Amino acid sequence: MLPAVLDDLLVLDISQGIAGPLCARLLGDYGADVIKIEPPGGECGRRMPPFFHDDPDPEKSLFFLLANLNKRGVILDLEQPQGADLFRRLARTADVIVESFPPGYLASLGLDHATLEQDNPSLVMTSITPFGQTGPYSHYKGGEIVAYATSGIMAISGTADREPLQHGGFPAQYEAAMNGMLATNVALLTRDLTGLGQHVDVSMQEVVASSLVINQPNYAFTGGVQGRRRPEGNSFGQVTPCKDGYFVSQEGGSITWNEIANFFGSEEMKDQRFADPAQRMHHGHELDAIILDATKDRTMAEMFKTASEEFRMLLGIVQTPEDLATCAQLDARGFYEEVEHPVIGKIRVPFRLWNMSVGGASCRRPAPLLGQHNAEIFTKLGCSAAEIGSLRTQGII
Amino acid sequence: MATDKKDADQETRLPLAGLRIIDISNVFSLPYAGGLLSDLGAEVIKVEGPARLDVSRGGAFSGVYPENEPGEDPWNRTSTFNLLNRGKKSLAIDLRRPEGREVLKDLIRVSDVLTENFTPRVMRGWELDYPNAKKLNPNLIMVSCSGYGPKGPYAQYPAQATTQEATHGLAHVTGYRGDVPSKAGQSFVDFLATWALVMGTTLALRYRHRFGKGIWVDVAMYQLGCYMVADRILDWEANKRLGERIGNRHPWLAPQGCYRCTGDDEWCVVSVHDDEEWAALCRVIGRPELAQDERFARNDARMRNHDEIDPIIAAWMASHSKTAAMETLQAAGVRAGAVFNARDMHLDTHLKARGLLEKVDFPPERGIGKRMIIGRPWKLSKLPLATRGPAPTLGQHNREVLRDILGYDEARYAALEESGVIGTRPTAARPVLRMSMEERVRQGRLATWDPDYRERLGIQD
Repeated sequence: MLPAVLDDLLVLDISQGIAGPLCARLLGDYGADVIKIEPPGGECGRRMPPFFHDDPDPEKSLFFLLANLNKRGVILDLEQPQGADLFRRLARTADVIVESFPPGYLASLGLDHATLEQDNPSLVMTSITPFGQTGPYSHYKGGEIVAYATSGIMAISGTADREPLQHGGFPAQYEAAMNGMLATNVALLTRDLTGLGQHVDVSMQEVVASSLVINQPNYAFTGGVQGRRRPEGNSFGQVTPCKDGYFVSQEGGSITWNEIANFFGSEEMKDQRFADPAQRMHHGHELDAIILDATKDRTMAEMFKTASEEFRMLLGIVQTPEDLATCAQLDARGFYEEVEHPVIGKIRVPFRLWNMSVGGASCRRPAPLLGQHNAEIFTKLGCSAAEIGSLRTQGII
Repeated sequence: MATDKKDADQETRLPLAGLRIIDISNVFSLPYAGGLLSDLGAEVIKVEGPARLDVSRGGAFSGVYPENEPGEDPWNRTSTFNLLNRGKKSLAIDLRRPEGREVLKDLIRVSDVLTENFTPRVMRGWELDYPNAKKLNPNLIMVSCSGYGPKGPYAQYPAQATTQEATHGLAHVTGYRGDVPSKAGQSFVDFLATWALVMGTTLALRYRHRFGKGIWVDVAMYQLGCYMVADRILDWEANKRLGERIGNRHPWLAPQGCYRCTGDDEWCVVSVHDDEEWAALCRVIGRPELAQDERFARNDARMRNHDEIDPIIAAWMASHSKTAAMETLQAAGVRAGAVFNARDMHLDTHLKARGLLEKVDFPPERGIGKRMIIGRPWKLSKLPLATRGPAPTLGQHNREVLRDILGYDEARYAALEESGVIGTRPTAARPVLRMSMEERVRQGRLATWDPDYRERLGIQD
């Protein structure tokens, strides 16, 4: 097997929830040895739904499974002096630490980057927090919807007659994980050149805000403030019902408006009041009626295939998780991996974000059970069996 | 000279300094990745055709002109183009002609990274897909971004973010509670691709640094989009649950919502994660007794009685500004966030203190002035990063690239220019959207506009 690009790294993951753990997992996917360090009782991610067979067992959180593949796991109470000391020993040999505590918390334990780098100048610490390490909101609490609100994306999502709308699920967390991983890569490239580590500060608010590359400069170039779309006149470019679900069609690519009209089987659509984008906005209601009538008896699958293959037209269909679980295109990309988990058993997990010709992501371990690798990791750190027993009795590991 | 020396030292500290990237990509995802790689120190040469400009150079689709004025060279003036392509050089060359592709091959020979986002068959047709490109430069890193990837049943399907947001599963879980599927924001999957492309490129650079070999990074937007609903797919795999649209509510915590504040279209979100935060919220809104009310005291009860909680929070919000609401709730330990619009992104004290937006000063002859653009959502304590200059005008660096980098003689350069293989103006005029700001508001393209925005931003001169 070819060497993996990060297989020279030891990563300590003391983060909790989704973004931090997933960031550490991505480093593990590319070969890093990742040790997940949880407080006694386990991190909050173990209590996040969905659960396998809806059983809220801390070993059965599917979110936890997803965000913690490719890691070994230990329990370590950083708030007890002996626990903090063990962590300092681990940090001496570590390359990267991923954390998501409120800014200042690790400093209060003497475990911040400035302190730890004294014994390990090449240490990279990556912090992923709602608002970053500095600035007036740095101590604010966050979460998915808070990131969506304060980033600017919610103000332009939903319709003008109703409240701003967030995306479903947790895309801000996933995006923050990706940025945490890429910024860690940048720090590692710098370290490869200079030998020096550093503290990486990722703000979830800024991660989501950074996707507003149309909206933001609109203000800086003209003073324009975008709002939410009008509730009607959107059958083109917005989600529209058809026989068995919903679709979205879009202008662009190599196709002309006449061909789009042909796809919908409508001669009327070829009229200038629809063909001209500037006029189209004034005739949204009429266009809605034409498109709704043209598609009420057509299925999603047929429209997707016909539009993509025969017309080379941009058309999307609202696929469900079931559709994605059975998608031949995702299989062709190697998206899924089967994992054997000691409690859950065999389960297929969405795994691969993108592909590489060599050195791509490999799925080597399921998520760790709580404290599963205590003995192995603390023994390697030089603790005797008696010490490990005593630490366990005191509730430190 | 002393200043130049200092700048040079600063430059060599950037992790990608000394690397050359040939960027033949288009629109959002990969051009933005190239802009970020330029921030990290790479020399990024953006390659476009005089007859095939980057789509983001057109105003109607993806940008506006400074002061809403297209000017003499509208293709050099669009807002989004200038954000995405900051710090790059521009070579305008017709790749559909064999002479153009010969130049590209010469560039590949002297570069470190090639980035492209054509439909997979294009690079294959030019015999410049990875196996072929590698023959020109064995250590080449190639970064490709496509809709669905080069293989599989959808490989040749056309794709853009607007329609993919439905197909990759995000629209199924997005929408008002109990209502139809919806989309959020703009071109969302493009930016997921941007992050993946920078991750992939930096990994590939480290791979080459460690093992001395090139690598191909193959990003499919669809696959990334599907990953954003990985938890929902797992819920289906394990529990055969399809999920439902719940608007702004949280799937397992309550209450959470978006509430109207004072002012026009001003809102604030609240998200309560535990009983302690609920008690704090009750104190802030002057209803401390609700903390013990059995309908609301525990999360499971709050989930059931969410409809009763909403009007209680809404009543308090209605008499507060969105920033006062956020500050008051956060001071009490309650998760809250004002819904920021584009104006707020520029003027908010926190984002200003953090410096997310960076000022780019365009040369006077560009007639663009000073503008704020998005920097990067991460800070490194020992690596001061900043955008390294404005985006280039079309073909601005034709001469530098062909004469200085590739060493072509003057006769060859002149021949390419004369035959129109290279150029500095588009060969065909593209439609320019001319519409007053008032009309944009009237049509619903904008919610509002600030005529005095330059004073507000401090970019008057």
